[in-house]
Amino acid sequence: MIIIFERTGGFAGISQRAVIDSSDLSPEEQQALEALLERSGFFDLPPRVTSGEEGVDRFQYLVTVEHGDRKHTVALDEVAVPETLQPLMRKLSLLARRFRSP
Amino acid sequence: MSRHPISCILPPYMLDQIAQNGTPEQRQKAELTATLTAQFRASRLEMAARPSAVPRAPGVAMRQRSVYTANFGSSLPGQLVRAEGAPPSGDAAVDEAYDGSGATYDLYWDVYQRNSIDGSGMRLDSTVHYQQGYDNAFWNGQQMVYGDGDEDLPPAQRLFNRFTISIDVIGHELTHGVTQHTGNLVYSNQPGALNESFSDVFGTLVKQRTLGQTVDQADWLIGAGLFTANVQGVALRSMKEPGTAYNDPVLGKDPQPGHMSDYVNTTSDNGGVHINSGIPNRAFYLTAKEIGGFAWEKAGRIWYVTLRDRIRSTTNFQQAADLTYAVAGELFGANSLEQMAVKNGWAGVGITVGSSSDGDTPQGCLQSVLKAFGIR
Repeated sequence: MIIIFERTGGFAGISQRAVIDSSDLSPEEQQALEALLERSGFFDLPPRVTSGEEGVDRFQYLVTVEHGDRKHTVALDEVAVPETLQPLMRKLSLLARRFRSP
Repeated sequence: MSRHPISCILPPYMLDQIAQNGTPEQRQKAELTATLTAQFRASRLEMAARPSAVPRAPGVAMRQRSVYTANFGSSLPGQLVRAEGAPPSGDAAVDEAYDGSGATYDLYWDVYQRNSIDGSGMRLDSTVHYQQGYDNAFWNGQQMVYGDGDEDLPPAQRLFNRFTISIDVIGHELTHGVTQHTGNLVYSNQPGALNESFSDVFGTLVKQRTLGQTVDQADWLIGAGLFTANVQGVALRSMKEPGTAYNDPVLGKDPQPGHMSDYVNTTSDNGGVHINSGIPNRAFYLTAKEIGGFAWEKAGRIWYVTLRDRIRSTTNFQQAADLTYAVAGELFGANSLEQMAVKNGWAGVGITVGSSSDGDTPQGCLQSVLKAFGIR
């Protein structure tokens, strides 16, 4: 499984960009990540998850997941991200620190 | 750009000259001008005196702070922990949010006679412990919200502390509320970067005033204290030297420009609102440094009056430069030290005041008023 993760905005304005290859993760981490993806319903999300609100100091995400024969890309505004997605976004952000793309 | 007559001051002795030496028609117009300029002066004094466009709430202006905890979830505002007047809770995030919003209220009231975010004593609500491992803070249109940074990770892995730890973060978020109720700058591209900059400006003024720092004593850093020792960086942003706040193997390098020639054209971050804010931030720093003393007294006043009275939702950098220059002239006099500092501050970031092309050739005050009354 390959995840391309991008996070921009936020108070700090620090961009994160990473390519996360699950084969670089431990088996436990891989399992936990797959479980998070399923629980969050990632593959059922529309291509854009936004609201009409101006998200002052909020994050913007661009996430692509390629898993087996499934490939899905979602652009998300934090303002519109439901609670169910938060744990996944946090996990991906932490993984992005390890697998940062220059 | 031609000067609107209301921005001009036509000295009475010039009107006297016209009244003495002009044609009958010019004398009549000079008398009319004298009456109107007196009205303009009275109107300007009134505008400078009022704290907001909304009538002041009755009674004494006072802080009404409430600090809530979201208990590491997402529901807002969450559970009330500390109400106005209550003693310290012992929870660092709660007490920092309480103290910081108080200090921000005090800057706006004591120095600028603004009664809270909306000018009418609006409550100051903060929620702390938002989500788990939330490395951010924001203003949601009604309240401030703060995360705990990386406090969910082992210390060796932490990059961010809790976001209430820096008082300028609190001032920054509250100022988003002030901007919403005044200039209401759209949160994208140059207006958005201005929006961000006003928040950094007044955020840092809250910090400087709390510490009693002059422009030379201040560090002009935003979010100093947010990074842990695991990060190669001193702060999130530097108003003094944009682009130098951090350079870290994990977080990357501070991307801020400090000059228009380095303006970042991007679609990320709503058109780079946290990136290009470096340019107006440095313009304010240069202005305040040239004026000297306490930055909130003169430079901050120019910026505050501009935000309150002149900024529009689509104001760009050039227009903001022209507006701060005009306001400085009104508050401190044409060609005053303060007005020159504003001009030099913007010049330092590559923006020349008065150089926006509106079609007209630039006109000074005398020409503009005379033209308005058909004398030229």
